[in-house]
Amino acid sequence: MELIKLSDYLWEIPKTSSMMVPGRIYASAKMIAGLRDDPALTQVANVACLPGIVGYSLAMPDIHWGYGFPIGGVAAVDACDGVISPGGVGYDINCGVRLARTSLHFNSVEPKIHRLAEAIFNKIPAGVGSQGAIAGLSIDQLKDVVREGANWTLRNGYATERDLEHTEEGGVLAGADPDRISERAYKRGAKQLGTLGSGNHFLELSRVDEIYDSRIADVLGLELGQVTVLIHSGSRGLGHQTCDDYLKLIASAMARYEIRLPDRQLAAAPIISTEGQAYLAAMAAAANFAWCNRQVMMHLAKQAFVEALSISPGELGFELVYDVCHNIAKFEEHSVGSRKQMVCVHRKGATRAFGPGHPALPASLRPVGQPVLIPGDMARYSFVLVGLETAMRETFGSSCHGAGRLLSRTKAKREAGGRDLRAELNTLGVTVRAHTYAGIAEEMPHAYKDVAEVVEVMEAARVTRRVARLKPFAVIKG
Amino acid sequence: MTTKPTTTPTEDTALFREIEHTGDLGIELTAPTRCELFRRAVLALAALLVERTGVAEREQREITVEAEADPDLMHDLLAELLALFTVEGFIWRDASATEAGRSLRVTVRGEPFDPARHAFRGEIKAVTYHALMVESSPNEWRARVIFDV
Repeated sequence: MELIKLSDYLWEIPKTSSMMVPGRIYASAKMIAGLRDDPALTQVANVACLPGIVGYSLAMPDIHWGYGFPIGGVAAVDACDGVISPGGVGYDINCGVRLARTSLHFNSVEPKIHRLAEAIFNKIPAGVGSQGAIAGLSIDQLKDVVREGANWTLRNGYATERDLEHTEEGGVLAGADPDRISERAYKRGAKQLGTLGSGNHFLELSRVDEIYDSRIADVLGLELGQVTVLIHSGSRGLGHQTCDDYLKLIASAMARYEIRLPDRQLAAAPIISTEGQAYLAAMAAAANFAWCNRQVMMHLAKQAFVEALSISPGELGFELVYDVCHNIAKFEEHSVGSRKQMVCVHRKGATRAFGPGHPALPASLRPVGQPVLIPGDMARYSFVLVGLETAMRETFGSSCHGAGRLLSRTKAKREAGGRDLRAELNTLGVTVRAHTYAGIAEEMPHAYKDVAEVVEVMEAARVTRRVARLKPFAVIKG
Repeated sequence: MTTKPTTTPTEDTALFREIEHTGDLGIELTAPTRCELFRRAVLALAALLVERTGVAEREQREITVEAEADPDLMHDLLAELLALFTVEGFIWRDASATEAGRSLRVTVRGEPFDPARHAFRGEIKAVTYHALMVESSPNEWRARVIFDV
């Protein structure tokens, strides 16, 4: 595939006859060399064929082969004339990350790491085969969850007002319609509120081991040696089923709207169509479930800290830094060429990264920009970034979302064969508690790219700036 | 209508092979007949979810799916079975399949999933349409399915 180098960190796939816009990939020369024959580049070009797409079909430096959309893909479509694609959001609607800080220093926790990891492991169910963190939720109660989003957790004692202020969209995506979620989706989600899931989902205890911008770190309440909690999970079975339900509905409607796309998994319908509106209402509902899920898990993690360390909530000082989603479609106003335009931004494995002064940010964060949380792998590090003004001009206010896989799950498992992975991670200073061995083998550090290289590209392109680095010392896997 | 006998290969590796996909989990499988291909896919799904040999055949469930095209039939069949596991908590060790025109009836034999007894291998979020393939040659039937995990 032809690639034109625009700068050291930006590459363009020229527009062909079937593409509505060119493709653009944020990557270093080294990353591009590794991507030359990767199907993910074809997926960037395929996304550029979506009716109503504006600007560019974008890919962040953690791009890898997805289904339909590449992981790391961003596509903004005109809010009136564009299409909505469930594949551009993904099965795990509002999969995302939240970071909480504590008042604890790593030195005080170090002797009790195993006890703490065990307490969290026992407190937060993985999901399958468990009764969930909140047993016996009826479908009517789940309808309240998806309608109210994080407000449901506030009303039921799992959250504070401050938590909601520090959650993207306040933890409630507008337009959610509980009646657009199928009975099967509710049944899949019934025992899963407050559960981690498996795959690449995790809860990570880390310490702040590097500060890059002390002024912004101060605003975010981060300091060297501080113990933090990073949670990565999404909308669980309720979201997975919702995506599946609507992929089928929208695929069957495409011929009626005369939409032809190169990949079935890209199935899309006009935003203003009955099917498009139904999906958006269901997606918002599933997104709201995801915010409740992460909020409940954070609440459980806080309880586990208090119980395992025998300290008071006041001594613990547990507070949410921010919560971001990285699988979502949102209506936002952006500059397209020389004019402002309302667009629907699909972020499939990409994080919103609004720059300083954006009205969507809470007053306390507005001067510094939106926190962007980028998990790495189990052993190396994760990063806290903030969005910059350039993101608003060039990436529809979006940045990367993680390290990006280097090895397939199959290959990662094969390379892990016969090794004592828990012991290996232990020698790297990481305690791991997991429900399945595969959960560790598939997610070993060597299966991922170095996330530092990913965030460096975003910083060189002036999309996001590094604020702090987090070093994991305990990881809970589903 | 043809009814296929129930035979369970002793090793799941004889049923399917995992294929490389960066983010997710893909399988390819072959079979001498169309019906057996679907049956093997049903067993492959169980094998991806749990250690199948640890599942006892105490109860059975029946699922019927119908679709115009074979790839849709494969997607819908596996999606129904994934729901059987995720919603009803039922896991199976063996299966038999019967075809009639565009319709496929599958009977799975197993028991309620018990995390204390069954070795769980990890969640599957969905059966994707990505690179989904069901096709035949004079000698065999082939399928490829990619699961989101």
